[in-house]
Amino acid sequence: MSLNAARTHEVEDDLLAAIDYCYEQGWTDGLPVVPPDVKRVEEMLLYEGRPAETVLASHPATGLECTVHAAAVNAVMAGCKPEFFPVVVAAFEAMNEPGFNFHGSTASTGGSAPLLVVSGPMIDDIGMNADVNLFGPGNRANATIGRAVRLILLNVFRMTPGLSDKSTQGNPGKYSFCIAERARDNPWPLLVEDQDYPEGVSSVTVFAGGGFCNVENHGGNTPEQVLGSIADAMANYGSITLGQSVVVLSPEHMRVVASTGWSKRQVQEYLFSHACRTVEGMRSVGKFRQRDYDKQHGDGGTSPLVETGKMHRGLSPDDILVIMGGGDAGGHSCFIPSWSRERLSIMQSKPIGVCIDCD
Amino acid sequence: MQLYDPTVAGPERNFVRAAALDSLEGKTIGVLENGKLNAADMLHEIAALFEQRNGCTIAPIFSKNNASAPAPGETLQAVAREVDFLITGLGD
Repeated sequence: MSLNAARTHEVEDDLLAAIDYCYEQGWTDGLPVVPPDVKRVEEMLLYEGRPAETVLASHPATGLECTVHAAAVNAVMAGCKPEFFPVVVAAFEAMNEPGFNFHGSTASTGGSAPLLVVSGPMIDDIGMNADVNLFGPGNRANATIGRAVRLILLNVFRMTPGLSDKSTQGNPGKYSFCIAERARDNPWPLLVEDQDYPEGVSSVTVFAGGGFCNVENHGGNTPEQVLGSIADAMANYGSITLGQSVVVLSPEHMRVVASTGWSKRQVQEYLFSHACRTVEGMRSVGKFRQRDYDKQHGDGGTSPLVETGKMHRGLSPDDILVIMGGGDAGGHSCFIPSWSRERLSIMQSKPIGVCIDCD
Repeated sequence: MQLYDPTVAGPERNFVRAAALDSLEGKTIGVLENGKLNAADMLHEIAALFEQRNGCTIAPIFSKNNASAPAPGETLQAVAREVDFLITGLGD
């Protein structure tokens, strides 16, 4: 598709009228959008090296395709600066991996939202927030990159609430759900380093996340105490499944954990070991499924840490993504459960703005 | 002001409805379950009604590996070869 072939609309040269026009066309998430003026879209496209017709993602059921051009139009509408665009592109390339299942995770009654975790030097380059009020408002990059993903789901893939998005209660993250990993004072290797991307590359990791669960602990002074409260949140009956987890340690909790030398791996193992419920407990709330138990415990178990008679959250410590983020003050970490009881979406990552091992 | 349209045109597809069966009597019924809790049980109950009332034969059950993804094309093709009609639905 050349730019000339893209459909355009002539509207009166009045910004407020153009915003209203976007509402009338059904192009918004309920909030006002930046009208996708042709010049702004073309500026956005300058930050992607591939042709505008390049397909970034395809819907497995409808065959609808998101091109670079369509992504740029929606990124403008979300309020993105052009330099944010490579993150949006990489996020959708990650979401297009079959294992992520963006159709199912968007359409499901479960109400998940794609959480984007950006890691690496690009965070500072484009001014993302990894600090105070990490999940909250106030930062243009965080807010608009996440919003662009939602607008693409709405406008390109027609994942319309009530029609093809059947979320029972939805999730505030469906407006925008994008954070950056904090590098400052972080004692551990960054996520992007764990992902083995070349030095200097940044990455975006996408995760079909359920609701945000704050974990408050101001009294715990040992790794076991802090992590024990997080594991308890991870194992709550309402969200324990075989699915993956994201845990964002606050800097205050990180200081408690890392001051005694705990590595990221030790934290993952501790959380996996302790985020569990007994079979009897699962039965008591009607959530025990023999098939799930067998999947976790059969053939010697999916991890040596799997304990007989217990259902753990996830299949192994690798299912728990642990990063640091947030402001210096406060014993507030968080846990975000995955969508789906059945591991129907697995988190994916892509490098941002570069092509590694591509044809 | 000239705005780009943020939506895309869908692919052109030629979907047509299958011709209706003249009768259900003695036909082979397929069951495609999605793997969710109770899905297979519920669908088998429904298939059993067709067996009782219409003398249908119930084909071996077909399953989706992923409840939230479209059934793979090869699954649908295999089902189409073996049954006259199919019932499917959500579990839970």
